[in-house]
Order: sequence, then structure tokens, then C-alpha cells
Amino acid sequence: MRYSRLRIIFPIGLFIALFLDGSLSNVFAGHLFKYPYSSVLHLVLLWIVFAIFLDDRDDLPVGLWAALAGLVFDWYYTGIFGVYLVALPLVVYISRQIKPWLDLNFLTMLMVYIINLTIVEAFVYVWYLIGKVITSNLADFAVYTLGPTIAVNLALFVILYYPVRQLYLKAS
Amino acid sequence: MQKFFSNRKLVIVIIVLIISFGLMSVSVAIRNKKSTPPLIQQFGNDVAGAVDRVIAWPVNGLQGASNSVSDLLNTYQENQKLKKQVDQLAQAKVNAQTAQAENKQLRKELKLNKSLTSYTAVTANVLTRTPSSWMNQFVISKGATSGIKKNMPVMSQSGLIGRVVEVNQTNAKVELISNSSSSADKFAIQVTNKSGSTVNGIVTGYDKSSNLIEMGSVTSKTKIEKGDKVVTSGLGGVTPKGLYVGTVASVKQDDYGLASEIRITPAANLSDLTVVTVAVK
Repeated sequence: MRYSRLRIIFPIGLFIALFLDGSLSNVFAGHLFKYPYSSVLHLVLLWIVFAIFLDDRDDLPVGLWAALAGLVFDWYYTGIFGVYLVALPLVVYISRQIKPWLDLNFLTMLMVYIINLTIVEAFVYVWYLIGKVITSNLADFAVYTLGPTIAVNLALFVILYYPVRQLYLKAS
Repeated sequence: MQKFFSNRKLVIVIIVLIISFGLMSVSVAIRNKKSTPPLIQQFGNDVAGAVDRVIAWPVNGLQGASNSVSDLLNTYQENQKLKKQVDQLAQAKVNAQTAQAENKQLRKELKLNKSLTSYTAVTANVLTRTPSSWMNQFVISKGATSGIKKNMPVMSQSGLIGRVVEVNQTNAKVELISNSSSSADKFAIQVTNKSGSTVNGIVTGYDKSSNLIEMGSVTSKTKIEKGDKVVTSGLGGVTPKGLYVGTVASVKQDDYGLASEIRITPAANLSDLTVVTVAVK
């Protein structure tokens, strides 16, 4: 029963993050998608990583919610199913595997977040490439998409780390 | 081999990947072939859209507020500039009204009810943009209930910006003209030069580095100059005639030297969209 509040806060925050991704992308489109760079907001992933690493007892059903968020993402934003639906739970699984091996602090979480960002972006890129949704070469992807995406999201991570940690300390 | 497949996790991973790939293939096929997504998909989109309205509202409100502040700072200079334009506009408006009235009368006499230029404008808010570097796509707040159909052209206040790719009951997905994927539908456009002769063609691509629309494979010898106006030609599909696309930026020979390629500066700013208009024919 100790975790009851987080069990409600986590999914609500997840879906707010999901829709904020889209809204903020539209508002700041001129800055985020300035040619040739395109930086993709990943607030959903940020929220998921926080939930996995700040929830000490692994009590939250993060994988399930991540799959649902991925499904809504595919459904509402892209119309192409099965991409984020698999990518987000995959990240949850990998993070859960890594977690026992890490001495958790700000820096290690930052590193894990970079790895997760890379996994999601690469997974989506490869999947769309195979599905012939896009045509783009690997070098362009790495330089113009992955690089700026990691930069922007790391900045968001640094800004949001302490407030969210306080939230988890208070709510649990 | 026995050991390889006895690994339960690996089997699960493979099954998940196959399911994921299958879902993707099916949805891409549906998107390319059908005019509307399946009912269940429409329903999901409508629900997500309704939730998104609640979250998009404060964000768009903030954007509106910041835009108002920056507008206020430029007010004086803009006012000076606009005052000059207003006088000319009054003249042009009267001219247009007279021509329109005459046009209506002549059409009546010819018993021509619907021409290529007639359409009704449906105005919609932009709800959200796909947070992905692969799709220049956004969601607008009107759908099939307002008469929107797939492939209809979408304009901002100043010009053509894209077309509708997926229609749900209460919202629709719009693909920007800058999306240069091979499956994208091409707009039929025409350039009118100073002496009034026109050149027809289609949008063949988008140059992202210079933000110019490309109109390739033009074999006509009609002289086109920089600054000539480009509008949709209304030939084929559901696009009405006369939607403003932009002005000619440059004309050059294509790589093979046989045809020329016209580059067009789009009239609309593709990265600052809050309200759009769908031309429903």
C-alpha cells in the first residue's frame, strides 16, 4: 500500500509526457527541426527511465504502461503500428537488466539514458528503413538526428532530474 | 541447433520481432491503399485526439501569449508597412469583387455550377506534431465529420503546406509538402509568367537545405522568370484550381540537360503552424 500514490502518478505523468512531446514539437518546430538537424523530444522515455531507476522496489508495472504508451504513440502520431509498441518495452527490459549492476547516481543514470535514447532511435530508424517508410543513410541518421536528439534530451534530463527525484522521494 | 531453440527468451524475442514487423507491414499497406483507416483505428485516434486537446490547450495558449508579445514589439514598423499596403488593397478588393460577381453571372448563363476553382474552406487548429525526425506530419482538429477526405490540400494563411493522409472522425493527419518520401502524392501546379502564359507540371520534390519546392521535368519553352506566381492547376485528384503555392526562385536545366527544373519559394512558413485551412471540394 506504500506505493499507491506512485501507481497513480506514474501513468498520468506518462500520458502527459506523451502528448507534451507532440505539442512541444509543434510549438518549437522551427528550432527542433531546423535543417539539416532534427532533434526529437523523448519525454516519455525520460519518464520511463526515471520510473525504473528512482523506484527502489521495482514495484511499478513500467513495462506494461510503456507498451501502452508505445501503442498510443504508433496509433496517434505515426499511424504505423508495432514500432514504438516494441521499442519502449524493450528499453524497459534492458534497463531492468542493467539496474542491479549499477551504483545509482546522477551520472550513471545519465549514461543509461543516453544508451536508451540510442536504442530507441536506432530501433525506429532500422524498422522504418526495412518497412520502406523512409529512405535515409546511416551517416545522416547518426549526425543529423541522433546527435541533436541526444543533446536536447540530455539538457531536459539535467533540468528535470532533481524535481522528479523529489517527487519520487515524497510520493513513495 | 537444439540448444539454440531451447532458449526460451530467444524464441520470445523472435516472435515479438515478427509480430512487430507484421503489424508495421499491414499498417503501411493500409495507409497506402485505403482512403480511411479501419474503424477501430479511427476510434483510437479520436479518443487520443480528445485527450490531446486538453493537454495541447495550455501549451498552445502559452505559444499564443509569446507570439502576442513579439507581435507587440514589432507593431510600429509593421503598422508603417501595412498602411502603405492598405490603400492598394482596397483597390484590389473592389476589383476582385466586381470580377467575382461577373464570374458568377457568366457561370449562371453558361449553367456551369461547379468549376475547378470552387471549394469550401474548413479551418482547423493544429493539435500536435509527430515527434519524430522521419515524418513531417501533424494532427489537425477537424475530421470526416467536417467533410475532410484523404488527399485534400491543406493551406496556412499564406499558401499551400501539405495534404491530408489519414482521416478520422474528429481529427486528421496532415503530411507537409516538405515530406519527400517516395509514396507521397504529388500536387499538380502551374506557373504563370508576366505575359500570362502558363506552364503545367507537378511538385517533384523538396530541397530541404534551401527550403525550396522543386518542379522538375518541365519541357515547355515558355519563358519563366524569378518572381512568377505558382498556383495549383486543379488537374487530377481533389485539389481545386488556384491555391497559392509560392513564387519562382530560379529556373535551371536539369542534370540531363533535356528539361528544366523550376524551384519555388513556398509562400507559407512550414515550421510555424497553429491554424490551417483545408480546401474541401
